[in-house]
Amino acid sequence: MIQIRNLKKRFRNNTVLDGIDLDINEGDVVGIIGPSGTGKSTLLRCINLLETPEEGEITVDGTAYSLSAHDRRQTLELRRQTGMVFQRFNLFERKTALENVMEGLVTVQKMPKEEARMLAAGELERVGMTEWSGHYPKHLSGGQQQRVAIARALAMKPKLLLLDEPTSALDPELVGEVLETIKDIASQGFTMMLVSHEMNFVRKVATRVIFLDGGKIVEDGTPREVFDNPRSQRAKDFFAKMHLLKQPEYTI
Amino acid sequence: MQLFAETNLFDFGLVGRQLPELLKYLPITLELAVLSMMIGLAVGLLLAVIRIKRIPVLRQIAAFYISIIRGTPAIVQLYIAYFGIPMLLKYMNLHFGTDFDISAFPGFACAVFAMGFNESAYNAETIRAALSSVDRGQIEAASAVGMTYPQALRRIILPEAMTVALPGLGNSFIGLIKGTSLAFTCAVVEMTAQGKILGGRNYRYFEVYVSLAIIYWAVTIIVERLLKFVEKRLELPEQIDKNAEASEEVKDKAKAYAREAETRYDTNKKPEKAFSQ
Ligand SMILES: Nc1ncnc2c1ncn2[C@@H]1O[C@H](COP(=O)(O)OP(=O)(O)OP(=O)(O)O)[C@@H](O)[C@H]1O
Ligand SMILES: [Mg+2]
Repeated sequence: MIQIRNLKKRFRNNTVLDGIDLDINEGDVVGIIGPSGTGKSTLLRCINLLETPEEGEITVDGTAYSLSAHDRRQTLELRRQTGMVFQRFNLFERKTALENVMEGLVTVQKMPKEEARMLAAGELERVGMTEWSGHYPKHLSGGQQQRVAIARALAMKPKLLLLDEPTSALDPELVGEVLETIKDIASQGFTMMLVSHEMNFVRKVATRVIFLDGGKIVEDGTPREVFDNPRSQRAKDFFAKMHLLKQPEYTI
Repeated sequence: MQLFAETNLFDFGLVGRQLPELLKYLPITLELAVLSMMIGLAVGLLLAVIRIKRIPVLRQIAAFYISIIRGTPAIVQLYIAYFGIPMLLKYMNLHFGTDFDISAFPGFACAVFAMGFNESAYNAETIRAALSSVDRGQIEAASAVGMTYPQALRRIILPEAMTVALPGLGNSFIGLIKGTSLAFTCAVVEMTAQGKILGGRNYRYFEVYVSLAIIYWAVTIIVERLLKFVEKRLELPEQIDKNAEASEEVKDKAKAYAREAETRYDTNKKPEKAFSQ
């Protein structure tokens, strides 16, 4: 159970998040959608403290952390409970796929190297990247890099996995393989927050959808409720603009 | 050559004959250069991190320090170290009751300090540029897996920055090797000082400086080769075999792990959760 309370973040005079409250149950896959620039990325980045909000609190399994005032220990503790998958993969360039996945296990969790190697290999297997374990990021396609990045985040056994537009930097033909991977891990019971513009995918994989606009949660419900019966005008306009029904369908 | 031989203007053979006498002092020259470089790298890295992380107070001190070092000639810094360090020790002996033997404090150490700190101010800029060339995304990724900044620095940032900084640092090391000839200011007899002594014996200064030039040039070429070699070693391979890391045994174990992990996570799964397709 993860509770976010009164999350407020602004950049100078631009209020991006205006008091977000959110309860996430274990196993929830929360799809976060909304117009560009409404703070979807900022929301995820505040949760693992890549940004520091002005106000806000998060409770993970009963332990409360302030998001706005945190010392080093609390920062590390919170980050170790969350995993992040970035739009631009952000793999460690000078490490192989396997080393990328091992890195957090060895450096952060102080796991013996051999054990970490096996566990990392297991995670790569899970995302279908075993054959490419010895490759450096520059040898991998975007889709392959993103799958390694997912394995890297999963290896740390996060209580909450944050995915920020994991497919939007990919060539169209590579999107499918990454969505497939995400769908697999979603079905394995990971708790996730997924920011995505792939509406059809969000509809399929999310157990709950949140529409963010003007710094607030405007819609919150099951995919069916939010996509088929949005209550707010803003969400209706957004879906109309997205040409929801004309989007290519990723059949997986 | 004929002319030279008749007039005895230039003793060609002497240039070669003096080489062994000079080479005896090459180790001192190299020691000076290597030790100064080590100080220069360590302090340079510290300064670079202070500037990149914008650590208050330290940042201003670092900027002040760099400005002083860059704004004064190296030879003046060497003299200041040579006269200043013994004064500092004497002061400490008087006021803190320490017991440093001032007369025994070697000029060599003064020279290493002065040249090392001088080097650090220049290295700081090279290292800072290299550190900031590392893509922010990777640093964020390191934070996201829970690494501290020092961990990220050591494991992710420095290995990558090193490939960027290497040519610049290599150049400044080569400069340093030649710069060690200033160590005479601290009464250190290294190669060039020994050359002067030899020249003073037979007044064949021109020959001895030609010998020195040959040695410095050769050393520089060797160091350049070494740097090229290291650069090559740091390059990532162009291509990699599929399955390069995955032996059958590893694959089998990985599969077992993946299966085990899946079942572990399945127990977390909410029973009411449905993936309707
Ligand atoms: N470091 C920053 N400094 C100033 N403003 C910022 C900064 N980072 C983000 N912003 C602003 O915050 C707002 C929200 O940005 P954010 O990246 O969270 O949007 P988003 O919902 O993820 O958009 P997109 O769908 O395009 O990715 C934007 O208006 C952006 O300009
Ligand atoms: Mg974004």
